[in-house]
Amino acid sequence: MLRDLRVPIPVLARFAPLASTFGLIVVMFGLSILVPLIVSHVLGDGAEGAYDEAVAITLVAGAVLWLASRRYSGELQVRDGFLLVAAVYLVLPIFATLPLMLQIEGLSFTDAYFEAASGFTASGASVLSDLDRLPASINLWRAQLIWMGGMGVVVLAVAILPLLGVGGSQVFKAETPTPMKDSKLTPRITETAKGLWRVYLLLTVACGVAYWLAGMSAMGAVIHAFTTIGLGGFSSHDASFGHWNSPLIEAVAIVFMLIASINFATHFVVFRQRALAPYARDPEAALVVLAMLGSAILVAVFLFGHGVYDSFPTALRYATFNVVSVASTTGYSNTDFGLWPIFAPLWMLYLCCFASSSGSTGGGIKMIRALVLLKQSVREFTRIVHPRAVAPLRIGGNPVSNTLIFAVLAYMLVYGLTMVGLSLLLTATGLDFITAFSAVTACINNMGPGLGQVGPATTYAVLTDFQTWLCTIAMLLGRLELFTLLVVFTPAFWRK
Amino acid sequence: MLQTLRAPLPVLARYAPLAQTLALIVMIFGLSLALPAVIAHLLGDGAETAYDEALAGTFACGALLWLAARGHRGELQVRDGFLLVALAWTVLPAFATIPLLLVLPELSFTDAYFEAVSGLTTSGATTLSDLDKLPPSINVWRTQLVWMGGMGVMVLAVAILPLLGVGGAQVFKAETPGPMKDTKLTPRITETAKGLWAVYFGMTFVCIVGLKLAGMTWLDALIHAFSTMGLGGFSSHDASFGYWDSPAIEAVTIVFMLAASLNFATHFLAVRRRSFLPYARDPEAGMVMLAMLGSVLMIALYLWWTATYPSFWTALRFSAFNVVSIASTTGFANTDFALWPIFAPLWMLYLSCFATSSGSTGGGMKMIRALVLLKQSFREFTRIIHPRAMVPLKISGHAVENNLIFAVLAFMLVYGATMVGMSLLLTATGLDFITAFSAVAACINNMGPGLGQVGPAANYAVLTDFQTWVCTIAMLLGRLELFTLLVVFTPAFWRK
Repeated sequence: MLRDLRVPIPVLARFAPLASTFGLIVVMFGLSILVPLIVSHVLGDGAEGAYDEAVAITLVAGAVLWLASRRYSGELQVRDGFLLVAAVYLVLPIFATLPLMLQIEGLSFTDAYFEAASGFTASGASVLSDLDRLPASINLWRAQLIWMGGMGVVVLAVAILPLLGVGGSQVFKAETPTPMKDSKLTPRITETAKGLWRVYLLLTVACGVAYWLAGMSAMGAVIHAFTTIGLGGFSSHDASFGHWNSPLIEAVAIVFMLIASINFATHFVVFRQRALAPYARDPEAALVVLAMLGSAILVAVFLFGHGVYDSFPTALRYATFNVVSVASTTGYSNTDFGLWPIFAPLWMLYLCCFASSSGSTGGGIKMIRALVLLKQSVREFTRIVHPRAVAPLRIGGNPVSNTLIFAVLAYMLVYGLTMVGLSLLLTATGLDFITAFSAVTACINNMGPGLGQVGPATTYAVLTDFQTWLCTIAMLLGRLELFTLLVVFTPAFWRK
Repeated sequence: MLQTLRAPLPVLARYAPLAQTLALIVMIFGLSLALPAVIAHLLGDGAETAYDEALAGTFACGALLWLAARGHRGELQVRDGFLLVALAWTVLPAFATIPLLLVLPELSFTDAYFEAVSGLTTSGATTLSDLDKLPPSINVWRTQLVWMGGMGVMVLAVAILPLLGVGGAQVFKAETPGPMKDTKLTPRITETAKGLWAVYFGMTFVCIVGLKLAGMTWLDALIHAFSTMGLGGFSSHDASFGYWDSPAIEAVTIVFMLAASLNFATHFLAVRRRSFLPYARDPEAGMVMLAMLGSVLMIALYLWWTATYPSFWTALRFSAFNVVSIASTTGFANTDFALWPIFAPLWMLYLSCFATSSGSTGGGMKMIRALVLLKQSFREFTRIIHPRAMVPLKISGHAVENNLIFAVLAFMLVYGATMVGMSLLLTATGLDFITAFSAVAACINNMGPGLGQVGPAANYAVLTDFQTWVCTIAMLLGRLELFTLLVVFTPAFWRK
């Protein structure tokens, strides 16, 4: 009886805090379109009108939603987190398509949404070609999507997912900048975000300046700093980094791709404590760097051994850039590595499944989960030999609870099933095996280019609409760590 | 001090019971060569002396080992089980190569060992061509290896692995014919084996008669009954079942492949109680049938829809035979299914990973493990929505304990890692992706033909020696449920 009085319009009241938060996010997203708008007006690159309309539509939509739901005050609950995250990653790409569709004639909504989702999930798979001839502001907008997506993902991994208990993400580094015990969503996320974003911004500026000093134009430096730190991989050139053919620029890219593959929470602690010790204490950082650089040497030796490159230094240069790029789920290339003997690109593809750190802007299952899986396998050997022994699984010295291990294992299963299922669907619709398999791997890991028909020298434009949507879903699933998105579609989620 | 007195030759005494048992197995194995020897002598096919020599040599080796180990009495211990199983499956193939090497002088030991392992692991991958021109007794020997391997595997799955606690094999049906509580290896295994083998013999006999009535010669009926019941897939014809092009023969084979894909312990109960109820209570039987027959229908529709076959009924016939053959890990073919649109063979390949029942002669990770994995994934969704709920994982009404789920999950991980690792290794040695991937999948699942260069129309002779050994190891690993073999190579296993 009391309840009935307190909640006159229950559904609205239930979702009002969610809607008003979402409305605010849309408004901010609309404001972010001002960056390419201003650039476009300054450069006069012919795309000005597109941004004017896009800003207006997005701002109005967000403001209406915010105004409509503002009156019903309330706290965001944990379960709202799933909906909010899903809504942000599904709906914002729609607004992001506005400048693309208004500017590029002949671009279908399917392709535009794919491009926007690819940006916002920091994947870097593209359906666009002739990038060099696009208005500069469009390339800036594409790269900016990646950069903003990266900001989203850092906060998602460090502050939101552990709270939602998704896929064992509680094992993600406990040493976050803010108090962990607060279970209310908003203050916790705000605090964490502030700390992480400061580091993110700083590293982006450093990356941009380094690119500029290494020889990029100012615009190129901004665009590629955005996509490097976001580990996205969009470029403003069809030839990607092959455009410059400059070892210096590639070296800068490699360093910053490696940095962005490490947990930003660790970077934050390093900045605050002015000490490198946090990297040593991070259970992932060393493994990430080791996996990437070790693979770079392995692939270099393999390429040199197969006579793909005449000299070992050349092989090392191409191996390092492309291996780090793919393994960190960035997706740049400075040569068509799809033409290398198949072992090399396959190794890179497998690497991108797990080589980046949790709390980084990279995709895949993350190094920490790979570590849990590996240790769990080793533990099973011990259990077979000593059936009664109790051997806890430890990460960084701390035992990991069984519930968490189960969550990580379930994550792995759903990840594997999704990959198998989606690649079978792609082959059923007519793609060859290597294209289907690599497209799904590249998309679910938010990496970008695949092999075969979607290799680094081509784009995803060859796919049919249905296939494009499958890849879009793979990117969204991968970015939202599968369960965050999937759980919203289970009936149990909506039951009281 | 007492210990030193009691065991003057500690190592010998420790392994004597093991050596004795192995010696007995080798002698029995040697005697089994009598069957092809008798057939060779009856038919005068030119291979007579090979069996005489092989029989004498194998029996002598076994007898020598037995005599040497005779003096030291002792019980087999649980840990000896791992060694015995590993030795049986690696040493017996070496003896099995003797007739092959004697009759086929061109055959290398690598290829002969591959062929013998392929037989004893009931895989059916072959390095031989011109099968029709081989002495018939050689084809009998090849398929007899499959049949005997099937006998071994059934007892392994039902009696030995659950005792060793490998890969969660304890979830394999508890209702076995022999007494379960006896932890001594020998009596338990003897009892179980008697019951299971009676059923196996009976079904093989019915299969021989069935194939004869459908139109095979007695010799072909024997050969193909052996490889059908063992779910091996060796044939005496290069064209496999395409040789007869007879729907009747294919129908008989499909029925027996399906029967052999079910748990023989369930068959045993059904026969003893003269009731079909045990099939209904078996958590796997229904799923196995559903997976195979459902896929038959789906692939038939797909082939018809892609106009691979003009009529639905032709599509259904070819789909039924090849899908059941691959999914049950047999590996017969009545057409080159590798020429079908890639989705169909890929689906069949994935199916072979899990579509057979535990306690059957099939390979792969087994339906019961797939069931546990699926339920564990669902459980994770529930846990995310209700973080404090205790949801037990149930298989046919019984809660499965956490340790078992962990074991199954670890099995899955090691299985996946082995597949990825080995296919990468094969691509690194020069194979294309689809050949490498399908060869490893076909071998680790003990299925037989892959796709690409090792497809149903070709054979494994194209592989280099190194690649052949990789495939041999894959077959052994798959048959011995990975851990049984791998654990023997861990230092912890050999520590006191």
